[in-house]
Amino acid sequence: MTKIDVSDIQGFALKGYNFPYARYLLLQLGEPEAARAWLRELLTVVTTGERWNIKPATTVNIAFTHKGLTQFDLPLATLLSFPLEFQQGMKARRQILGDEGKNAPEHWDPAWREDRVHAWLAVNAQDPAALDDSCRKMQDLMERTRGAVVLQAQDACAISIDQKFTAKEHFGYTDGFGNPDFKGAERDCVPGQGKLGENGGWEALATGEFLLGYADEAGELPVAPIPWLLGRNGTFMVYRKLHQNVGAFRDYLAAKGAQYAGGKEKLAAKFVGRWRDGTPLELSPDQADPAIVADNQKNTDFTYGADPGGLRCPVGAHIRRANPRDAFGFNGGLVNRRRIMRRGLPYGEYVPDGQPVNDRDDRGIVFMVLNASIFRQFEFVQQQWIEYGNDARQGNDKDFLLGNHGGEGRFAIQGDTNPQNPPFICGSLPNFVELRGGDYFFMPSLTALAMIATRNVDPR
Amino acid sequence: MTNLNGKAYAMNAITPMKPWKTPILKAFFFILGVVKPLQKDLKNLSFIHFARWVSVGRHSLPHLSEQQPHEDLTYDYLLFFSNFNGTWNQYIDAFSSVLYRGLDAIWFWSEKYPGSRPVTAFKRYIALVQFDTDYYYNVYPHSATNDVKAALRVHDALAAFARTSQSLSPADFGKAWLELKATVAPDLGSTGIAPEGT
Amino acid sequence: MANISGKVYGLTILSPIIEDNRLEICHSMELRWYLSQLPRDCRSPFAQLSSTYLARLVVMDDVVFVGHPAHEDHLKSRYLIFESNFDGDLDTYLRRMATETKEFVEAVWKHCVGFPGTNDVAAFLAYMKKCQLNTTFYFADVNDQTVESTLTALKTQAALAHFMEKHEGMPAAELQRAFREFYQRLSKSPALPRGGNQLRDIRQEKIPHD
Repeated sequence: MTKIDVSDIQGFALKGYNFPYARYLLLQLGEPEAARAWLRELLTVVTTGERWNIKPATTVNIAFTHKGLTQFDLPLATLLSFPLEFQQGMKARRQILGDEGKNAPEHWDPAWREDRVHAWLAVNAQDPAALDDSCRKMQDLMERTRGAVVLQAQDACAISIDQKFTAKEHFGYTDGFGNPDFKGAERDCVPGQGKLGENGGWEALATGEFLLGYADEAGELPVAPIPWLLGRNGTFMVYRKLHQNVGAFRDYLAAKGAQYAGGKEKLAAKFVGRWRDGTPLELSPDQADPAIVADNQKNTDFTYGADPGGLRCPVGAHIRRANPRDAFGFNGGLVNRRRIMRRGLPYGEYVPDGQPVNDRDDRGIVFMVLNASIFRQFEFVQQQWIEYGNDARQGNDKDFLLGNHGGEGRFAIQGDTNPQNPPFICGSLPNFVELRGGDYFFMPSLTALAMIATRNVDPR
Repeated sequence: MTNLNGKAYAMNAITPMKPWKTPILKAFFFILGVVKPLQKDLKNLSFIHFARWVSVGRHSLPHLSEQQPHEDLTYDYLLFFSNFNGTWNQYIDAFSSVLYRGLDAIWFWSEKYPGSRPVTAFKRYIALVQFDTDYYYNVYPHSATNDVKAALRVHDALAAFARTSQSLSPADFGKAWLELKATVAPDLGSTGIAPEGT
Repeated sequence: MANISGKVYGLTILSPIIEDNRLEICHSMELRWYLSQLPRDCRSPFAQLSSTYLARLVVMDDVVFVGHPAHEDHLKSRYLIFESNFDGDLDTYLRRMATETKEFVEAVWKHCVGFPGTNDVAAFLAYMKKCQLNTTFYFADVNDQTVESTLTALKTQAALAHFMEKHEGMPAAELQRAFREFYQRLSKSPALPRGGNQLRDIRQEKIPHD
């Protein structure tokens, strides 16, 4: 049984905080001495994965791009021992990711476009006053040590409806289901979040799929920097600012929803694989079911084996693409090394359904992925399962929501002769989501942060 | 990159085998029935168009003229040719995850074969024994084997529909059309260019 | 017969390449150069050799040394590997190679030992069969079609998908008329070009529908 030292791992890697407010400070680091001085003080307030007796008002977490790590004057051999894709950075990998056309770097926010981000400093908070207070302290520390400056502050906030925070994103879908369970994580295993066991049932995934220094699903250590201690208990994070064209989505849904015999809400469910309230189509194909959604033991406990033809959940639906479970056969063996841990919060003003919305406004979701191998996990899912459809037997068709369609995308909904569940082919898909920037980050353990801050790194 | 043509990747690999092991390999293939479950798994994985293993005895290389020197080899050789869809890493990851039993049975007899698990050592071995294609032709570069199989199903369904729908009333046509659509709806993915390999 | 799976034939040819120290540019290098220039799409000689699914030509320089304690083996000649997957029988295929893609065959195999040329078709067949290796295990995912039937199916699928997408929600009578027209057009439309069209095939371009 893997026992992981939660006091050494940054909390952001181990759990979703579920705080409604966040500010992601994108930093440029100063001279090595100053950056190290700043980090020495910062690491004393970094939030770890330790269990809380009382929830703190704010949390603080830090991660670095490869360019950021070079600012600390680490040995070259160590810098070169990081995985190749991390060294290159997300912008250099854009052809692999399909970040072209509307998703190309020329459309990104300046800080991302110009490759200047060295660090991501994330403050999560329970209320706006605490958020501002914590950020002010962060700012003071940076100025005092001259260790870093803020290039951009990205605010994010849970969407509030009827004065209550929800888990919804701007298209109206309840988000946050199905994050993978892994061994050693202290939260309880939720059925459906792990991998399929040999005798049915669900098991936690190998720790090394999400943390460096532990065996992964192939029984090996994931690629990690040298020395080993620098990587251990750390992980890699992908940050992507995804602009959402809410107007285009609502227009499309309204137009096609009028044609689709199952109705607009069912059509919306077919795009994703869950009704907008979160009910999985596989468990409840005809209507949303709040009782299922509210029950953690049920709301992600399903497989696709009984639905090979996509009659309940379309074969190309978003959640079926992103986590195929048993859809490829082999009891999920082809999927276990492609799981990703997602974090994120919406940004920008929420416009309720029915009110006019302008897609030129800044709104969307800050999407973050945590995994031990960006190449094997995030990049693979993005390239093969989101921007391509061969494994889903959907040819070149892209994911409905995230696909870089360019106005010509197609999404086929399977159906039968049941009048409420007809086959339905959606075409001329525009880009509902556009990439506005991001990069690859290394989220070090507390030990590693101290090593970096004191320049105690031996490359062998 | 000449190993690629459209959605297909041409892999060539050669591994040495001690000559006394060659007949065992051949026996393994047929007598012990390794072939059938492997065939079934390969079809279910559905990412290989065509693949073959060719055993070449050390004295069996073609000798066409006295001007050509006779080969003087210690080992027999096992050649492997694959036409597969997906990236190199994806292909080998899939083999290592789900096909390892069948593959190990075939390559176990080759010198210094490390086994298909752990996967990193396996990938290193394949990179060592793989050699590159100089010219690759693909009759349907925009179609993976999944696309081909989907197209065959759609074609058959449409042919049957066209035959029977000739003389139907509009209402009956509408019903038959719905049935056709339901039949082909899983198989309507577009074809095109493969994503760029990593 | 291990070289055959259903309707598909798996041909593996190993032709020793002429080694001649007197030449300034050796045969294998010239051959590689020729292959690098040869078009790989609808202008390929294999598009002409129309029963070919996937085919490759590989210059094998040497066997591999896998490391101690294995011995270090070396080949005395280089070999040209020709691996092809096609529908139909071997003799017909080889005959078509000699008669329909003469120029290509000569340009490639002239670098190989004992190549008799393509004028004497029988001699060519004998030569190729002498170089043929038998397959120990042949796998074909789809083995009950021909190249032609496969390409027809691919054309049909693309056309039908496009038609269904564009006619979503059309009332039955109108749809019936539209379908009749569509199906007639489809039956008359030209086959997909064997090998695709690389000139048209730059990134971001889609395949045009009917």
